[in-house]
Amino acid sequence: MSGKDRIEIFPSRMAQTIMKARLKGAQTGRNLLKKKSDALTLRFRQILKKIIETKMLMGEVMREAAFSLAEAKFTAGDFSTTVIQNVNKAQVKIRAKKDNVAGVTLPVFEHYHEGTDSYELTGLARGGEQLAKLKRNYAKAVELLVELASLQSSFPGLNVPLLTSSQSWMRESGKSSIG
Amino acid sequence: MLESAELYFNVDHGYLEGLVRGCKASLLTQQDYVNLVQCETLEDLKIHLQTTDYGNFLANETNPLTVSKIDTEMRKKLCREFEYFRNHSLDPLSTFFTYMTCSYMIDNVILLMNGALQKKSVKEILVKCHPLGRFTEMEAVNIAETPSDLFSAVLVETPLAPFFQDCMSENTLDELNIEILRNKLYKSYLEAFYKFCKNHGDVTAEIMCPILEFEADRRAFTITLNSFGTELSKGDRETLYPTCGKLYPEGLRLLAQAEDFEQMKMVADHYGVYKPLFEAVGDGSGGKSLEDVFYEHEVKMNVLAFSRQFHYGVFYAYTKLKEQEMRNIVWIAECISQRHRTKINSYIPIL
Repeated sequence: MSGKDRIEIFPSRMAQTIMKARLKGAQTGRNLLKKKSDALTLRFRQILKKIIETKMLMGEVMREAAFSLAEAKFTAGDFSTTVIQNVNKAQVKIRAKKDNVAGVTLPVFEHYHEGTDSYELTGLARGGEQLAKLKRNYAKAVELLVELASLQSSFPGLNVPLLTSSQSWMRESGKSSIG
Repeated sequence: MLESAELYFNVDHGYLEGLVRGCKASLLTQQDYVNLVQCETLEDLKIHLQTTDYGNFLANETNPLTVSKIDTEMRKKLCREFEYFRNHSLDPLSTFFTYMTCSYMIDNVILLMNGALQKKSVKEILVKCHPLGRFTEMEAVNIAETPSDLFSAVLVETPLAPFFQDCMSENTLDELNIEILRNKLYKSYLEAFYKFCKNHGDVTAEIMCPILEFEADRRAFTITLNSFGTELSKGDRETLYPTCGKLYPEGLRLLAQAEDFEQMKMVADHYGVYKPLFEAVGDGSGGKSLEDVFYEHEVKMNVLAFSRQFHYGVFYAYTKLKEQEMRNIVWIAECISQRHRTKINSYIPIL
């Protein structure tokens, strides 16, 4: 028992009961903190694993999409100016939702489609098949990007509470080595 | 008929025919393509191209070399050659050249119209226009507010005016979807070009008319295939088919009713030329697509154009073959730069 953590107390039966109740309270608090830090760690590890998988998949999907762009240009000629000029409203949009993990709110992004494809007739006379494939590949890439963004934005949201709760838990463990 | 071609053609056009045949002889051969496919980087590609007729066309490019720079320089070279031919030509060859440039002009006009409607600066659109489709009124496009104004103020002077007449008779220009407008213009252009070649008669008609018929039918097939699953109705689709091909009139009517690839194939089976083409189409991602098969057939017809003399088809064929060569080189360059070599051999061989 270290010197500085000694509590000055008058040795009576009531003081003992009060002390026991305080000890119980401190232990419950410490267990709750441990549970919180465990839940956060679990979620943290899951997110990290998903981030790594998604990043690898992202590399593959982007490569495939860039190659399908080259294929489409081979058959349809240069359609880039037409596409850029006809941009108006976004077709794929994102909704932000909140998710609760052990008291910590994390943002989650979800994509949804709105409106029709304004480029339906591009490539009507040449290269339509390749353009359709190109659109599919890049749509897949965009969906993956949204998922990755969601994961990466919840990462710092988790990190800080995880560290603080594990620090508090360490502190409490040190303190409650009374008895 | 044939005697007159042999007797009088060389007076006006002999020099240019000789020149274009010389240019055709410098197209890349199969051996050149094999060398290009084996390159590891774009720098290697540049070195290999220096040994061909392209020479040092990339000599002034700074590092790093990109595929778009190669594409731009090749196109500049083709434009220089084309402008040389055009400037030295006499009628009726010069009218033929004007017809050839109309297809690029149509693309440019659509770009300019779109840009003018969205109030984009004319200068940045002009940079993106195809150089072969230049016409003198291009810069004046930004004065118009609506497409109909644009037509009555600017486009009336260009060679494209008669093609717009066909579209204007049904709707005003404002309501048409830009892609439908593009395809309608191209249809009237193709029919006008075909009539010109047919009226010229002689060997030119014998060579150019089959080529243009194939182009018309190819467009009909491609439009049909690409309109499955879109909002384009069958009636609209039928108005986009050029009528100067072999499919007119029964084939086009049957095509307008087709609803999937199999029905399209059945229509093609009635025509001896198109049956083997459709049979060569592989299924899914393994074999060739319909577009690839059409490109190959076009290249074959263009190469055959050089087997006759004293006609204008050689100029058309040379331009198309050169463009295909440019597409091949860009394809190989993209495969090399993206390190995706599995499909590097799917270029269309020419000679």
